[in-house]
Amino acid sequence: MTDRDAHRPPDPPAAENLDYRVAHLAERIAAGPLGELGVRLVPHGDSVLLTGTVPSTECRDEILGLAREVLAGHPVHCDILVAGTSSPDHGEDLT
Amino acid sequence: MIRVAAVGDIHMGPDSQGTLRPAFETLPECADVLLLAGDLTRHGTPEEARVVAREIKDLAVPVVAVLGNHDHHDDHPEEVTAILRDAGAHVLEGQAAVVTRDGARIGVAGTKGFGGGFVGRCAGEFGEPIMKEFVRYSRRRADGLLAALQQLDEWNCDVRIALTHFAPVPDTLAGEPPEIYPFLGSYLLAEAIDTACPDLAVHGHAHAGTEHGMTSGGVRVRNVAQPVIGQAFHVYNLPGREPAAPA
Repeated sequence: MTDRDAHRPPDPPAAENLDYRVAHLAERIAAGPLGELGVRLVPHGDSVLLTGTVPSTECRDEILGLAREVLAGHPVHCDILVAGTSSPDHGEDLT
Repeated sequence: MIRVAAVGDIHMGPDSQGTLRPAFETLPECADVLLLAGDLTRHGTPEEARVVAREIKDLAVPVVAVLGNHDHHDDHPEEVTAILRDAGAHVLEGQAAVVTRDGARIGVAGTKGFGGGFVGRCAGEFGEPIMKEFVRYSRRRADGLLAALQQLDEWNCDVRIALTHFAPVPDTLAGEPPEIYPFLGSYLLAEAIDTACPDLAVHGHAHAGTEHGMTSGGVRVRNVAQPVIGQAFHVYNLPGREPAAPA
């Protein structure tokens, strides 16, 4: 250890590290009742952006609520989309 | 012309009952068959499978499906398969089916497929038993697809389609993090497809991917994951087989 190291504030415990908290939240979203693997949680500095497409507004709201609870203290931004359910108005010709 | 509707990754649960049925009821106007490219449920529970079954039951077009990894999560893929078959769907795993509409014979060969990655960036059958089994499992899925496609050769089809959940090519994964490509598909599927040369290959699984791609042998590939196509299904119009010239 150097003198400089001795004066450096201690590193935060791994459990408080945002990267690991985000990784564990992603596992929880996948393994939990939503079974959702299509949402990406991307740390941006101190905040986290949620992206992806889910089947329903309920799914989106549940994921956002869970993220805000688990990542308390960090701003959570949500760009999650809900899958479209309309019929197409034309087909693609494959010739 | 043969019109093929397709969607994958609809991830249905009890709260999604009825969300796709209105669009599916328009199918007879625009399509001759509906392909479901796996991940039809969230966890593969019988309850979720019954939601899917009610969405597709008694549609006026034939339905052909493969399961996805989500449909295996609850360890009851056979029960999910049985529920979907009771609703009238053909559910394929290393199998082929021919459905007819207005006299056209539409052949579909299907498998869930699996991961492993793509040429030059793929897992090898080497090392720990679990690693070897990973690659062998993927190879068995691809072998099943090839056998099913070759079966279609004998069934006088107007078009032949390869239906998988995992991706056969990296083209349609564009948008996904490259680091996870080996979990999204395998070149072994593309090799099977290029050996049998069907008219179209359809897959899902890659929610952040891209719709359009092609195998190195020139077979068109379409990623129909619902988050990719943004609709209840997409339709691909394929030219049917040319009628034989009169003698």
